[in-house]
Amino acid sequence: MILSRVADGLYWMGRYIERAENVTRLLLVTEELASEALGLDEQVARAEWNHLQAIFPGPEIAGRPTARALAASRPAALSIDPNHPYSIFFSLRKARENARTVREALTIEVFVNLNDTYRELEALTPRQMADPPMFRDALGSVHRGIMSTVGAVEQTLSRDAGWLFLKLGESLERVFRTTVVLQIKLPGLLTHEPTVDLALFYTQWRNLLRGLSSLENYRKVFGARLEPVEVVNFLLFDPHTPRSVRYGTTAVKDYLDRIATGTDLSQPARILGKLVAAVSYEGPDLIRRGATVAFLDTVASELARAHDALATIYFGT
Amino acid sequence: MQWVKAKEAFDEVFDEQGQVRPHYASLISLLESFTKQDIDRRERLQKLALVSQGITFTVYGEKEGLERIFPFDFVPRIIPAPEWKRIQDGLVQRITALNLFLLDMYQEQKCLKDGVVPADLILSRKEYKRQLLGVVPSRKIFTHVVGTDIIRNDRGEYLVLEDNCRCPSGVSYVLENRALLNRVFPEFFGSYPVRPIKEYPTLLLDALQFVAPRSGQHPVVVILSPGIHNSAYFEHSFLAREMGVPLVEGRDLLVEGNHVFMRRTHGKRQVDVIYRRIDDDFLDPLTFRRESLLGVPGLVNVYREGNVALANAPGSGVADDKAVYAFMPELIKYYLAEEPLLGQVRTYVGLRRDDFRYMSEHLDELVVKTTGDAGGYGMLMGPFAGKVERERYLAAMKKEPGNYIAQPLIELSCHPTHTDGQFEPRRIDLRPFILYGDRVRVLPGGLTRVALRPGSYVVNSSQGGGSKDTWVLAPREP
Repeated sequence: MILSRVADGLYWMGRYIERAENVTRLLLVTEELASEALGLDEQVARAEWNHLQAIFPGPEIAGRPTARALAASRPAALSIDPNHPYSIFFSLRKARENARTVREALTIEVFVNLNDTYRELEALTPRQMADPPMFRDALGSVHRGIMSTVGAVEQTLSRDAGWLFLKLGESLERVFRTTVVLQIKLPGLLTHEPTVDLALFYTQWRNLLRGLSSLENYRKVFGARLEPVEVVNFLLFDPHTPRSVRYGTTAVKDYLDRIATGTDLSQPARILGKLVAAVSYEGPDLIRRGATVAFLDTVASELARAHDALATIYFGT
Repeated sequence: MQWVKAKEAFDEVFDEQGQVRPHYASLISLLESFTKQDIDRRERLQKLALVSQGITFTVYGEKEGLERIFPFDFVPRIIPAPEWKRIQDGLVQRITALNLFLLDMYQEQKCLKDGVVPADLILSRKEYKRQLLGVVPSRKIFTHVVGTDIIRNDRGEYLVLEDNCRCPSGVSYVLENRALLNRVFPEFFGSYPVRPIKEYPTLLLDALQFVAPRSGQHPVVVILSPGIHNSAYFEHSFLAREMGVPLVEGRDLLVEGNHVFMRRTHGKRQVDVIYRRIDDDFLDPLTFRRESLLGVPGLVNVYREGNVALANAPGSGVADDKAVYAFMPELIKYYLAEEPLLGQVRTYVGLRRDDFRYMSEHLDELVVKTTGDAGGYGMLMGPFAGKVERERYLAAMKKEPGNYIAQPLIELSCHPTHTDGQFEPRRIDLRPFILYGDRVRVLPGGLTRVALRPGSYVVNSSQGGGSKDTWVLAPREP
C-alpha cells in the first residue's frame, strides 16, 4: 500500500518508458523499410510513414508530402522534437519527471539508467537525425539505454505495490500499443493482394512482426515462411510472445488482481477479466469472418475504460 | 606546484609565514603528487557522477525547472579535533538556549518582561505566530533540525553568522560530497582519521520518532515537500530514501477528526510526525496564508491538539530572525547563566534608533540584510555597491527600518580551491547541522560552502557558490 500520488507516478513512469521503447523500435523499423522501398514502390514507403504518424499522432503535416519529404522530417520529429507528444524525447522526459517525483520509491540503478538515457537523447541534434546512419546508430544506443533501465527495474526494485503499479502501466501501454498498431496496419495488409512485388509484400508482413518485436518468436513457432493469417493469429492469440494481445491483456489482468486486496473484484479487474475471457475464447476464424478490426476496436476501448477505472479508484484522479 | 596564500583573510591551510599548517601537511603533499592530467581526469569523472545521479538543485527566477549541479571542489576542508570540540560545545549551548527562548516566547514571555529583548522587536515579526501562543510542542522541542552558519574572521576565530531554525537545507550535499570525494580521490582518506557522517539519516529519524505523540506503536514519519519545483527537492527525496520514509506533498495528506492521514491506494493511514520542508506560512491555509496550495487544511489545529508533531515546530522561525540574532549572547546568559562559548558578529538592528543612524551613515562599510529573507536574496554588500545602489537601498530601509540589520564586512577565511586548473584561495563558511532529539547532537563537520568567484564573499548556491567535503578529525589516542 503506497501513496496514491506515488502509485500514479510509477504507473505513468512505466507507461512512458514502455512508450519510449515502442516509438524507438517502430521508428527504426519504419525508417529502414521506407528507405529500402523508396525506389521500388514510393507508395509503400509513404504508407509506412503515414502509418507511423497514425500510431503516434503529432502535429499534422501539411499537404500530401512525398515519401522523401517524410523521410527527411519524421525521424527528427519522432525522436527529439520536445513538442511532439509521441517523440521519444517527450516520453523519456515524462518518464524522468515521474521518476524524480517518486524517486524515493525507486533504486539508484533505475534512476541512473533512465537519467543517462535521457541525457544521451537530449544531446542529439536535428542534423544528426537527418543523417540515416547516424540516426540509426544513435537510436540504437538510446534503445539499449531504455532496455537497461527496464533491466534495472527487473534487477533491483522490490516487488511491492509500487512495482506492481509500474508494471501495470508498462503492460497496459504495451498491449494498447500492439492493438493500435494492428488497428492501423491490418486493414491495408489484409485487403491488398500482393501486386507489384511479392518480396515487398512479405517484407511488410515481416516488418509488422519486427515492429512488435515478435519476428524471432514467430519463426520459432511457424518457421521462416510467413503466412498472413498465421501472423495475425500469432500477434492476437499467441500465449507466449510478450506483445501479443492475449499475452498483454492477461498480464494487465494479472497485475490488477495482485493490486486488488480482499475478495471483492475491483472495477478495472472486472473489465480486464471479461476482456481476457473474450480474447482467450476468440478463435482463429476471426479473420475469415472479417471481424478482426471490430475485435481490435473492442480491445482498445475496453483497455481505455480499464485505465479510467483504475485511475479513479487508485489515484483519485 | 604553485600555492597562493590568501592576502587579507585568514588562510585555513597556510600560516602567516606561508608554511603549511600541520593538519594539512599530508593532504598538500598528496595533492602535489598528482599531475595536471590526473586531476583533470578525476574532475571529469566527478562531474559525470553528479550529472548521472541527478544530484542537482533548482534555481529560482530562471527558466522553470532548470536543474543545476551544485559545484563541488575536491580539496577538503579539515577541522582538527580540539577546534571542533569548541564549535560543537558552542552549538549545543546555543541550540539549547534557542529552544528555551522559543518555549518562553510562546508561553510566559519572561525574557520580554525582564527586558532582555525589546518586546516590539519580537512581537512585530511575521515569523512570530501569535496563533500558537500557549501551544507546547511534543517534548518541548521546537527546533529538531538547525543549520547554523559559522565563519572565521581574519584572526581565525569561529563566529556564528546566523542560525537557520526553519528548514535548513544542505545536509544531503554533506553526505553526497563525502561519497563523491571517496569515489574520485580515495587516496585522500588514507592518512587522516576522518570522522564518519553516514549515520545522519538514522539520527534524524531517531530525533523525529522521539517526538511522536502516540506511544506504544511504531510511529509513522513522513517528509512534507512543496514538490519537484522546490530548489531543495533533491534533498527532500534524498532524505526520504535514506530514512526509508514516505515523501509526501500537501495534496497527499488530509485532516479528519483532528488527525492527519495520508491518501494511499488502499485507504488512508495516520501520520504521527511530519518533517516539513515547507515554510510556516504555507503549512495550513486555514491558519496562515489562505491561498497556499502546498499545505494541508486543518494541519495546525491537529498540531495544536497534540495529535501530530511538526518538525520544526511552527513559529520557530522567530528564533533565527536576524534581529533576534543580535540578542543571542544576552539570551544565552539569561536562560543558561553561562557565557556564550561561540562568538558572533557585531550586529546593528534597524529597530534601534542609534543603530539605524549608524547604519545609514556607514552604509559603505556594512553588509545589510533584510530580516526575513534567506539564501543571499535582498542583501546589500555596502563596500562593493555603487553610490546609486546604496542610495536606492537606503530609501527602502527608511520605509521599514525594523526589517533591516547590518554587520561589518568580515573577511571570511580562505581555502585553496581548484579553479581553472589552479589552486586558488576562495572564501568559505561552514554550516553544521544540529539535531535535537533525546539530546542535542551535532553532525561532525557540516556543509562547507565556497564562493567560487575570485574575491566574492557570497557562498550561497543560488549565487554562484559551491561546496567542499568537510573533515572533522577524530581525537588522537592518548
